Amino acid sequence: MAVNTTTYVRSPSRTSAYLDWLQMLTGVALILFMWSHMILVASVNLGAGVMDALAHFLEKTYMAQVGGPIIACIFLLHFVLAARKVPFRVDQQTTIWKLSRQLRHTDTYLWLIQVVTAMIILIMGSIHMWTVLTDLPIQAAKSAARIQGGFWLVFYLILLPMVELHVGIGFYRIAVKWGFSRRHDRKKYKRFETYLTAIFITIGLVTLVRFLLLKT
Amino acid sequence: MARRLKFNIFRYNPQDPDSSPHTDTFFLEETESMSLFIALNQIREEQDSSLQFDFCCRAGICGACAIMINGKPGLACHTLTDELPEEITLMPLPIFKLIGDLSVDTGTWFRAMYEKVESWVHTDETFDPNTDEGRMDNALAEEIYELERCIECGCCVAACGTANMREDFVGAVAMNRIARFMMDPRDERTDKEYFEIIGTDEGIFGCMGLLGCEDVCPKHLPLQDQLGILRRKMGWSAVKQLFRFKS
Amino acid sequence: METIFTDVLCIGAGLAGERVAIEAASAGFDAICLSIVPARRSHSSAAQGGMQAALGHCAMGDGDCPDVHFVDTVKGSDWGADQEVVRLFVDRAPEAVREMAFWGIPWNRVVPGKSTYFKGGKEFEKVEASEKEGFITARDFGGTAKWRTCYTSDGTGHTLLYTMDNKVVQLGVTVHDRVEAIALIHDGEICTGAVARCLKTGDLRVYLAKATVIATGGYGRIYRETTNAVINDGGGAIIALDTGVVPLGNPEAQQFHPTGIVPTNILVTEGCRGDGGTLLDVNEERFMHEYEPEKAELASRDVVSRWMTHHIRQGLGVKSPYGDYLWLDIRHLGEHHIKTKLREVEEICNNFLGIDPITQLIPVRPAQHYTMAGVRTNKDGAAYGLTGLFSAGEAACWDMHGLNRLGGNSLAETVVAGKIVGEKIVEFLQGYEVQYNTGVIRSAVTKQEERIKRLISGENGDENVYDIRNHMQDELMERVGIFRNGTDLQKAVDNLQEIYARAQKVGLRSNGAGANPELGLALKIQGMVKLALCTAYGALQRTESRGCHAREDYEARNDRDWWNRTLATWKEGDDLPTLNYEPATETVELPPGERGYGVCKIITCDGEVIGEDKS
Repeated sequence: MAVNTTTYVRSPSRTSAYLDWLQMLTGVALILFMWSHMILVASVNLGAGVMDALAHFLEKTYMAQVGGPIIACIFLLHFVLAARKVPFRVDQQTTIWKLSRQLRHTDTYLWLIQVVTAMIILIMGSIHMWTVLTDLPIQAAKSAARIQGGFWLVFYLILLPMVELHVGIGFYRIAVKWGFSRRHDRKKYKRFETYLTAIFITIGLVTLVRFLLLKT
Repeated sequence: MARRLKFNIFRYNPQDPDSSPHTDTFFLEETESMSLFIALNQIREEQDSSLQFDFCCRAGICGACAIMINGKPGLACHTLTDELPEEITLMPLPIFKLIGDLSVDTGTWFRAMYEKVESWVHTDETFDPNTDEGRMDNALAEEIYELERCIECGCCVAACGTANMREDFVGAVAMNRIARFMMDPRDERTDKEYFEIIGTDEGIFGCMGLLGCEDVCPKHLPLQDQLGILRRKMGWSAVKQLFRFKS
Repeated sequence: METIFTDVLCIGAGLAGERVAIEAASAGFDAICLSIVPARRSHSSAAQGGMQAALGHCAMGDGDCPDVHFVDTVKGSDWGADQEVVRLFVDRAPEAVREMAFWGIPWNRVVPGKSTYFKGGKEFEKVEASEKEGFITARDFGGTAKWRTCYTSDGTGHTLLYTMDNKVVQLGVTVHDRVEAIALIHDGEICTGAVARCLKTGDLRVYLAKATVIATGGYGRIYRETTNAVINDGGGAIIALDTGVVPLGNPEAQQFHPTGIVPTNILVTEGCRGDGGTLLDVNEERFMHEYEPEKAELASRDVVSRWMTHHIRQGLGVKSPYGDYLWLDIRHLGEHHIKTKLREVEEICNNFLGIDPITQLIPVRPAQHYTMAGVRTNKDGAAYGLTGLFSAGEAACWDMHGLNRLGGNSLAETVVAGKIVGEKIVEFLQGYEVQYNTGVIRSAVTKQEERIKRLISGENGDENVYDIRNHMQDELMERVGIFRNGTDLQKAVDNLQEIYARAQKVGLRSNGAGANPELGLALKIQGMVKLALCTAYGALQRTESRGCHAREDYEARNDRDWWNRTLATWKEGDDLPTLNYEPATETVELPPGERGYGVCKIITCDGEVIGEDKS
């Protein structure tokens, strides 16, 4: 019989639960933000004036000035929280890649995509936010000028699919983890996630083209 | 036309100083309704009598024979060779300690799990042999049985991303066990007490929802559903405690 | 040498072994269980059907009581059982079921109201009483007057074993899994533990105990076609027989189960027939009701197995490369019933046969299933011949099954006997002290070390252990199966003696390092052939037909000469067991009579011949 002589007893802690809640809530907040963001940006397809009006409204109500930095904070917080699960050690990295290759299991692959996109979004998203928020007001003409410069076009061509993949998979993952998706409707959720990602990438691409063609 | 099957089998006997981890190749003529149980025994009896692997009931009931079959965990006894390609690669389950070749020590791992989740009915009552048993709704009994069907083969653990990365993760099998006792009115544990066992990153909050467990479970236990329910229950339990509601 | 001391050493961690350990641990004694597999993989888990106990809650079990259970069990045993033990058993069974419920078994419960059930392919209606709602219900099993078999869907053994092992963990009982006892430590009078081989490292270890319990289950693996797990190769019976002083009771008593699937012999539960499944022949016609108008498919297992074999011999079996077989039909039970109450059956059909039992027939034939034979004990579970040695469960010949066991009585025996024998061991241990004799221990260990060395070096010879095992299995299957006769049995004994001589010349082909599986089998092959010889020789000597032991040359049950129990011991150096006999039962509550099914030609105690052979 084992004798436990350790006097240090860890007191029951609820930290993991709260962190998990926060990870989910920040995720949901960012998903909602990204959808609104897409509406704002895609409004340029209806005309530069529409986008400018929306942006003007957001700035007049200080939603951009205050909301922007708040979103940035949520963005960083979400990264830190989710990073608890990301394999940073080499042996963990090796293990998880080996496992997914062996298993050929979609959901495990999807999670690796989540990890990789997260790293890219962390860097590119930060740059994007810095650029936009330090150069207020948001105007269709300014955005178009940036994109027509060439560098930013490539930048957004990379960032767009990264974000949409991350958002789509994140949406599905939250549904699975928190039991919104059950065994019988998992396929439905997965299909929804695929469509969602595809639609948003398409809208994003159309918008980029629109900016490219927008006369400045 | 019978196929000639090629088996690549992981070999290592830690007890033999001359042995080092490697892969051995064996060939077998495929026969009708050949399962990996038949194939492995044939290899042992005819080609290499030192080959270690585990079988017990050979009927998919006991969970002894889980191995990695072409990269996926599964029960060797009910895997028929005609479902597999000509080349079959067999590896021991990861995570569990290797005994030799395809044989791993699940016993120690699972015993630690039972002790951690206190896998028994907690009650203050004492058994009275002279009274009738307590009544229970048959539908509830069947629901409990549904989760009790787990055969502890270890497939869900082997296929779990989290368990593969962190040794202290309890795995879907433990979560399913907790869910089973939560459902059982004979167990008097409260949500708060369950929370103390699995409300951590080693428990339910460590689960990343990759569903490897759900997709490989040979008994098709509703692991996805149970993990979801458990996360919500444990999540609410934490929130309630935060606001000091009675739990 | 690593040496471990304990009060109670249970060899085997299935239901019986663990139940004994729980009883000892609850009384404050140290208990260790040894198991050759992780405890929950033990073969107890494979028992699908259920556990008999006369609770009498369900409508079709109304009026049931231990007395009715007693009569069923004694009749089932064909009066081979020890009636005092049967009485003990039936009286304690209901309590055992309730205790398991208290520990967490999700027994199926009574659902009030009308429902239908099948019997012999026909649909009937029953009404469950509302005042019984939620109590433990039961299903029908072969050879019983009432519905008495308590169950959890079709995983009764599984839930029982898991719950039992939970209790073991709760009480802190140590389980050393992957450890195999390969010899008992004894001085010819007192047993003080066992020498064991670790199946993780191959190392030998000594366990010293005041009480040693053999609970290793049956040994169906001496037969080629058996429903048993691969671990059921007789470890416990062998080490008992090796002592030279502990006898096996009724070694000839081997039960065949009517429904092993073809070709893998995996069991499909008796619950199939209990719930109304039928047996069909090559013309897809029922036949059991012609042989057994009353019980039809639900006569006791020995009877159904024999009629099936008989029917196949009439040329009415379905031909296949794996031999002839018959059909089991559960299609009419419906998808819902099969998918809930008989789900393991559905899985087995899907996974191992590639058929769907909801729409297709299941190929079945009898396969060896249960070893009524075992370490002979008294009613307290104490083995004959050695103080401090006990046995419980299928490994024991306690003897409530006589020459044939009823379905649902095996799970019940493990739990009830485990409890009773456990209580008796606790009584035995009160104030009992033992002196460990280092000389005895040393010589027991040296003997095993020597054996291993010789097997590895090949000093004894170079016989292939798998070859020998296969020959032994074939021999039993061919000549010591369902129908037996003097000529074949004599031949079997002769051939097995030859095989026994070869078994002594086994040499390993591999290096034997670590947990080497070839060495594991080589260490026990002589013992297995000894068990085979006990079976064949016991069967040869028993010149009557009783229970599962059906002699074509002696068709009557002979109560005048054979109302007794065979006791087989093995003297060192012999190549045949020594057989002795004792009365089947000292107490006679139910005098021998007709069973009401099966062959009913009987030579009574007075020598009168009654009944006629129906075949």
